[in-house]
Amino acid sequence: MKKFHVLTTALAAAAFLAGCGGNEAGDQSPRVAFTAMVSFGDSLSDVGSYDVGVVKAQGGGHYSINGIGATGLLWTNWTEFLAATLKLPVPCAAEKGLTPLAPYVPSLGDETPTFYDASTGGSCLDYAQGGSRVTAPVGPGNAALVVPGVTSTYSNAIGQLTVPVITQIGNYLAHNGGTFSDKQLVTVLAGGNDLFMNVAIFQAQVAGGQDPTVAATAAVTAMGQAGGELAAYVNQMILAKGATHVVVVNLPDVSLTPYAIASGASGQALVKQMAVTFNTQLQKGLTAGASLVYVDAFTASEDQATNMAQYGLTNVTTPACDLTVVGSSLLCTKATLIPALAPSSASAPATAANTYEYADSVHPTPYGYRLLSELVGEQMAIKGWL
Amino acid sequence: MKKHSIASALVAAAALCAAGAAQAQVAGQVMVKIGWNKIMPKVRSTELSPPALPGSTIDIKSASALFLTATYMITDNISAEFLGGLPYKHDIIGTGSVMGVGKIGSIHQISPTVLLEYRFMPADAPLRPYVGAGPTFAKFYGSKGSAALTAVTNPGGSPTTIGGDTEWGATLAAGANYKIDKNWFVDAAIFKTFINTKAQLSTGQTTKARLNPVSINASIGYAF
Repeated sequence: MKKFHVLTTALAAAAFLAGCGGNEAGDQSPRVAFTAMVSFGDSLSDVGSYDVGVVKAQGGGHYSINGIGATGLLWTNWTEFLAATLKLPVPCAAEKGLTPLAPYVPSLGDETPTFYDASTGGSCLDYAQGGSRVTAPVGPGNAALVVPGVTSTYSNAIGQLTVPVITQIGNYLAHNGGTFSDKQLVTVLAGGNDLFMNVAIFQAQVAGGQDPTVAATAAVTAMGQAGGELAAYVNQMILAKGATHVVVVNLPDVSLTPYAIASGASGQALVKQMAVTFNTQLQKGLTAGASLVYVDAFTASEDQATNMAQYGLTNVTTPACDLTVVGSSLLCTKATLIPALAPSSASAPATAANTYEYADSVHPTPYGYRLLSELVGEQMAIKGWL
Repeated sequence: MKKHSIASALVAAAALCAAGAAQAQVAGQVMVKIGWNKIMPKVRSTELSPPALPGSTIDIKSASALFLTATYMITDNISAEFLGGLPYKHDIIGTGSVMGVGKIGSIHQISPTVLLEYRFMPADAPLRPYVGAGPTFAKFYGSKGSAALTAVTNPGGSPTTIGGDTEWGATLAAGANYKIDKNWFVDAAIFKTFINTKAQLSTGQTTKARLNPVSINASIGYAF
């Protein structure tokens, strides 16, 4: 019996050995050792192209709820969440500035556009700008849209540069030796401003007496063309120039944004058709392969709207920012949220805003951007890059 | 180091006792076994609780480890066996909508089990099949996360860790041993364990997993 006791004690001790080990982070390095992230697109990837003048003075610059930790999250834009995940430096705007609007409207403290990328000895590689379209140079917020004596159609017509994606990529190539490296992650997300501009054209045409069906068909056709063009730029100017890790995020379902909801069911239907057509042509045109991850943000945005709770959301239809105070999320901070989301004190984060999808009529809250970065991270992990 | 010294102690104990004469598997007999056990979980996990990407489920891969047992013959046919051994390290992989993400982490587990067994055939038969049943206590600990897990749960934030749990389950066993000489024998067995667990991420989400592993093992034993 004594032998038995000795043995069972020893076995029990062996069984419980190392039973005290803690839970560890594990290997947090992505499977691909990226050295840089290069981003092209529009406001959804803009990390401060217009963070100058009055925008800077008001603490804006991101198309969301501005300010580090404003809602208690570490980052604001999805490219920032993703860069941190990949252990890369915080993305910064490759070109900054605002075009003068005077004499039409009072000066907004504009600043001559300046590059902060390799062309000036800088290291900023986020070329995405609010208002940028795929090919056309004038997008929402561009000074060219300001008509003397007429309030702009675009609430944020503050002289945005709106350098189109084709020129953004061209600028990158011109300033960085004409190639991409196999250690760069290149992200592309555009099309929203082509949609807004074509909707505005559609509305103007209908108001001018044109057949709505003809005008709608033209708007949808224009979106298909833009999608095809974006695919061609990715193929010819990015993939063919040495990039081996390219993430193309398609256009989310814009028909679910507060912007589209305000236009009613028929407006939403048109917007949805425009987004679908853009995405169809984009996906069809892209050269699929080992170097490309196509992220279906469209489907994800629809799922977020229908299954809010799954994503920790409670509001997917109204903006978190008080748009009677700030016209666009570009100037929104935790101090300019709707009263229901105001932080408990000036120093406290506005954590309640993390249940809202939208900061303004089209742009996500920091939490909404985080959801996008999770989706991109998931797809990159499936591809074996993360 | 500690592991090593205990293993040495066991070997030494076995060697010391080898001097004594013994009959095979009669009442009052003590037997020890050392071998290799492979645990193959048959996982069915619930979706990771919100907020999370929809349809995120997990699978837990097989693991093998050194296996140690001690058996006491209560009668010539009924025995009590304690099963222990070194910890198992299981890889955790993403399934469901995160299928293809690959390994998202790993977790250690020990699952000491006590079986009450019935051994067929007379005590001195060379081949004795047996069946058994008893409780299993499982402790999950020492997990590791990954860049992919953090990317889908807390992108850009502090690394996500996986919290283990302790659970009770039940094990059914069937096996047989074959006598080589008066002291030494070989043994092979298959176990089915019924056990569930719950994993909690440091980001708050939980998933319940039905593990119900099948284990197979082979060992060499010594009867004192």
